[in-house]
Amino acid sequence: MAKQAILGLFQDAESAANAGDALKSAGIADTEYDFLTDSPYPEGAFGEREEKHNLYLYPFIGALLGLTSGILITAMTQVAYPLETGGKPILSLPPMAIVCYEGTMLGAILFTVIGIVFESRLPKMKMGLYDNRITQGLIGLLVNAEQEKGPEVMQILNGAGAVDVKSEDD
Amino acid sequence: MASETQPHGGAAHDGSAHDGGAHEHGHFGPEMWVIPESAGLTSDIAEKQRSSSTLFTVVLYAGALLTVLGVIGFVLRLLDGFSDHRVWGFYVAAFAFVFTLTSSAPLAACAFRFTKSHWRRPLSRISELFALVSVVNILLFIPALIALPDILNPLGASNEALDIRRTIWFRVPGGSPEWWQFAGMVGLAVNSLGILWLAAMPDMAQSRSQMTGFRASLYRTLSGRWYGTKRQWQIQKAGLAILGAFYFMLLVFMQFLVVSDFAMSLIPGWKDSILPPFYTVISFQGGLAIILLMAYAMRRWGGYREIIGVAPFWAASKVLLGLTLLHTYHLFAFFITYWYGRLEVEQNILNYLMFDSYLGIFWAQLFFTFFIPFPILVSNHARRLGWGAPLAGIFIIIGLMLFHIRIFAAAFASSDSESLYYFFMLKPIPAATFPDLWDIFIILGAVGIVMLVFRLGMMLLPPISVWEMKEGAMYQRVDTLIRGRYLVLGKPE
Repeated sequence: MAKQAILGLFQDAESAANAGDALKSAGIADTEYDFLTDSPYPEGAFGEREEKHNLYLYPFIGALLGLTSGILITAMTQVAYPLETGGKPILSLPPMAIVCYEGTMLGAILFTVIGIVFESRLPKMKMGLYDNRITQGLIGLLVNAEQEKGPEVMQILNGAGAVDVKSEDD
Repeated sequence: MASETQPHGGAAHDGSAHDGGAHEHGHFGPEMWVIPESAGLTSDIAEKQRSSSTLFTVVLYAGALLTVLGVIGFVLRLLDGFSDHRVWGFYVAAFAFVFTLTSSAPLAACAFRFTKSHWRRPLSRISELFALVSVVNILLFIPALIALPDILNPLGASNEALDIRRTIWFRVPGGSPEWWQFAGMVGLAVNSLGILWLAAMPDMAQSRSQMTGFRASLYRTLSGRWYGTKRQWQIQKAGLAILGAFYFMLLVFMQFLVVSDFAMSLIPGWKDSILPPFYTVISFQGGLAIILLMAYAMRRWGGYREIIGVAPFWAASKVLLGLTLLHTYHLFAFFITYWYGRLEVEQNILNYLMFDSYLGIFWAQLFFTFFIPFPILVSNHARRLGWGAPLAGIFIIIGLMLFHIRIFAAAFASSDSESLYYFFMLKPIPAATFPDLWDIFIILGAVGIVMLVFRLGMMLLPPISVWEMKEGAMYQRVDTLIRGRYLVLGKPE
């Protein structure tokens, strides 16, 4: 079934939250709409769904890869060039720890940046439905519902006090 | 209880009102508000970004002029080559000065965001903009690495000299430790630029329709497909927290590398566990000082008076006071440890860095980093009016420049021949080194390039974190309690 994007613009957060409630009552799943704001609102301010993400996984993977690289580089270098220094063992942990720590940090940082790009869905090729008035404080309610429900969604948004409602077809 | 969403009246905007009108304006003081009204903030900041005050024009041209001087000084220094390490002492001091001051600045935004301080909001982007200087730090770091004496003693071990210089690195061929130091500096730049990008993304997305030309296309590219969905805000919040934590961890590590490799390991016999944390403390102190100085200049002369209130200076001055005290404590701890130790090498190092060769610079540094800023920061009057912390900041920055000359230039000058870097102990005590004309050019250039890059950053990116200001405006009210009117700030988490 084809989906249609509809954007309702609200003057205040209360009306936007009411519109969200109305959509839920009309049987629109909470995964099918999103609130667009110009600043971060507290969790659950609009009665919206709880978002889950895996960003915390990325730095762990990066750190693990960085640490492994650090261990391999230091161990292999010291084995390849066995220079005894100050009576310390060839594979001595304190000097290895410096390189391993740096490798861990670099891996974690790099993977976090990559994770941010992917988890926040930034590399979308096509700009979706948006209105610049959101940057001036209006709250956007973006609904991606089945095409046949379009008129009903528009009616709900208008009924909840939207100052403007636009769809992808406009 | 009556409440209003906006805590300040019109009088506050023109700056004419002072604490005397507390009953009329509220007990928080007319200029003590944290965040101005959010309506029109995006377009207001965009407009300010396009225009330029006299101060900013002066900063731009002065920065460019000093940078040119620095480049001239550097090129002429290059003619001396890298074989004599001693002549690069002031260059390394200039690099370390820029690194110390600017690398800690982005951390202030992360740290105060962690603590959910509302007053930090006008300062956040100012501190994050210093991330742009991290690219300069990488460029400045390359000649410093080349100028660093080799770990291996070219003359070999002897009765007085070690086979290898005392460093934290093990000796291996193939570019260690230079590549590791360089990789760390690049990692720091990637991390801080990541913080700046992520923090500025919502503002760039909001301004992309209001900007024209290069900035519009830059904003469209960097803000990607940011709409401000719940998920995007959550990822941004989590990303800033993770990158902030990593930045702290890597920054402290890199500061440790810089101060141990470019200072401690070059002075024979200097083994000091206090210096690395001391260096970190002064970096935090300098970073906060430069942020407050820039913020004050923007407020006082840059047209941002109605956006940057007094509260950030009032609150941050207490943090600066704490860091100033910590600086002095570490300095004393370094002194007393060596003074009690009384080994010949310890006495020689004390005499070299504090009481003989660099006596004048040491006392000047102490005055600039403690005796002058301390009474200013302690003064409630100076703190409440906002100018106290920036004024103290100017003295602290001058003091830190003297510190870097005293430590880094002195470290490179500690050897009057190549082999002395590898000696067991500093003996005899070398004389102080003084900058020549090219060194002065290089030092001026280091100051200039920070001014230039920061100003260009202000022109390129929104210099105020608009989304954070809007978020803060949502959580503040002016309310009445009995007969007083007070600013109430919410903390939703």
